Amino acid sequence: MRVIALILKRLQRLIPVLIGVSVLCFALIRVLPGDPILSIVPETATAEDIQRMRVRYGLDKSIGTQYLDYMKGVLQGDFGTSIQTNRPVFEQIRERLPRTLELIGYGFLFALILSLFLGFLSAAKVGKSADHTSRLVVLIGNSLPEFWFALVLILVFFGWLDWAPAPIGRIDSNLGFQPITGFLTLDALITGNWQAYRSAFSHLILPVITLGIVGAAPMMRSVRASALEVMGSPGYRCAVAHGMKSGELFWKYVFRESIIPLPVLAGLIFGNLIGGSVLIEYVFSWQGFGQWALRGLLLRDYPVIQGFVLVTALFYVIIFLIADILQAVLDPRVRV
Amino acid sequence: MYQLGLSAITRKKIPGEKLILVGGLIILLMLLISIFAPWITLWSPTEIDFSAFLAEPSSKHWFGTDGNGMDVWSRIAHGARLDLSIGIASVLIAVCLGGLIGAVVGYIGGWVESIAMRFTDILQAFPPFILALTVSAMFGRDFIHLVLAIGLVFTPAYIRLMRSEVRAVRERMFIEAAECAGNNMMRILFRHLLPNSLRPLLVIAPLNCGWAMLTLAGLSFLGLGVPIPEAEWGSMISTGAADVVGGRWWTSVFPGLVLFLSVLGFNLIGEGFLERSNQRQ
Repeated sequence: MRVIALILKRLQRLIPVLIGVSVLCFALIRVLPGDPILSIVPETATAEDIQRMRVRYGLDKSIGTQYLDYMKGVLQGDFGTSIQTNRPVFEQIRERLPRTLELIGYGFLFALILSLFLGFLSAAKVGKSADHTSRLVVLIGNSLPEFWFALVLILVFFGWLDWAPAPIGRIDSNLGFQPITGFLTLDALITGNWQAYRSAFSHLILPVITLGIVGAAPMMRSVRASALEVMGSPGYRCAVAHGMKSGELFWKYVFRESIIPLPVLAGLIFGNLIGGSVLIEYVFSWQGFGQWALRGLLLRDYPVIQGFVLVTALFYVIIFLIADILQAVLDPRVRV
Repeated sequence: MYQLGLSAITRKKIPGEKLILVGGLIILLMLLISIFAPWITLWSPTEIDFSAFLAEPSSKHWFGTDGNGMDVWSRIAHGARLDLSIGIASVLIAVCLGGLIGAVVGYIGGWVESIAMRFTDILQAFPPFILALTVSAMFGRDFIHLVLAIGLVFTPAYIRLMRSEVRAVRERMFIEAAECAGNNMMRILFRHLLPNSLRPLLVIAPLNCGWAMLTLAGLSFLGLGVPIPEAEWGSMISTGAADVVGGRWWTSVFPGLVLFLSVLGFNLIGEGFLERSNQRQ
């Protein structure tokens, strides 16, 4: 009951925010200098031709009408048509979003494992060299420009050592693998295609390491801080004094309490990852959601930019919602 | 710096002292490089050496040359001016703007406050880099617009921070005393509330400077930041990206290394500030 009340309360605040987001991005995009129509018509086009194209994409109407038309479509799953490729935006989102989500998902998982490991390690060895080293690693990871770090990894593991595959795409194209869901590792597992799985996995390694190392810092810091807090608490000292086994001490006391602040941070990390994925996809020619949006931004493709910004904001807000709920579940003290 | 000197005299351990010192030295070095760029380089940043395209580091070109025959070291040193100033200026704008708005709405309260808060809600519904990316694509790519685009990303966080701080300080006795003494609203706001609520904003500012520099370089890397051939670290990394795959590493690795060091410097200072303010509480 408590959780349901929380969800309802959050949704109430969420919907006006989403409407605001859509209005803002709709209005701001139209401030962009440059006319999307001029970039697709041939140079010989007359003023009449250009006007006809404008009418075709609905750009001749007032901004208010355009917005209402657009939102009507969005509610029915129609995000308009890309001015550049002339394909429905929704179709392109469905094709490209799984590619990026796969990347971000593994990146997040890696960051989580890394920060739990380093966080508990440095809390256990507080003040010793293992503590300083893991804090330094995280500080460095937090300061790295991810796109540059990815290039360095490519230089070392592809250029010099030749361990990693060429940084182009997500799978060896000569395998001719046909994706089903778009999550390649999942698809390969479903079809039992080990060759495809290995190829997709090896293409994921470098970008996932990059995203994970760059994203781990806030979570590691939080894990370390809360683990130290628990270990200094009277309850923990009492349990130690009573001779509780170290495994039980760790799981029931330290671990249980250290993961409570993580969901809220996870929302933050996800936002960083989605921003970072635009850069990483560019480096690895991932052909994902971010790279698609970048092309849209450079070519002033209104429907593409709108679709991208709306879907990203939606995901971001939903992740925060889930984080709130998870935290309420993990921590009974959270008041609804 | 005052605190560092003090700790030397009293021999009392001040938390975060070492972090702030090391970070400060790194940033100082970068500032010196950017100020004295013309005197410590042999080439001008956009000068083309037609006898050396993609030349390896040598005594003539310390960090080598890029694919256009431009000296990498000279471009790094001159690029420092742009990267550092945009990084710092965007955070300054966010602190001033966010602090001012946050203080005013926190003090006035009521519907002004709720409107401002809903607006920050909306801005914070965008992932930070995506917001910077979209806004910079809209505004254009010159200095002031990039500063605004990146600064806009931080502003909501400063508004929130300042607002909650002002609301806490507002309840304290000395504000009540100032009100009783007949000070007007403006005076209470700017003379008493603002200065006493500024600390938490300044604590996170260095961390944001680092992030701002990463964002600027990221935007330029994608071709939405500082236009080529202007010397800027992100666009240098971008031009060198294709060469890296072919093993010619110096065009990208050096500018990235300098960027990383500067961000590390800011993060060390920020980390030290955080440690200090945690200790204080």
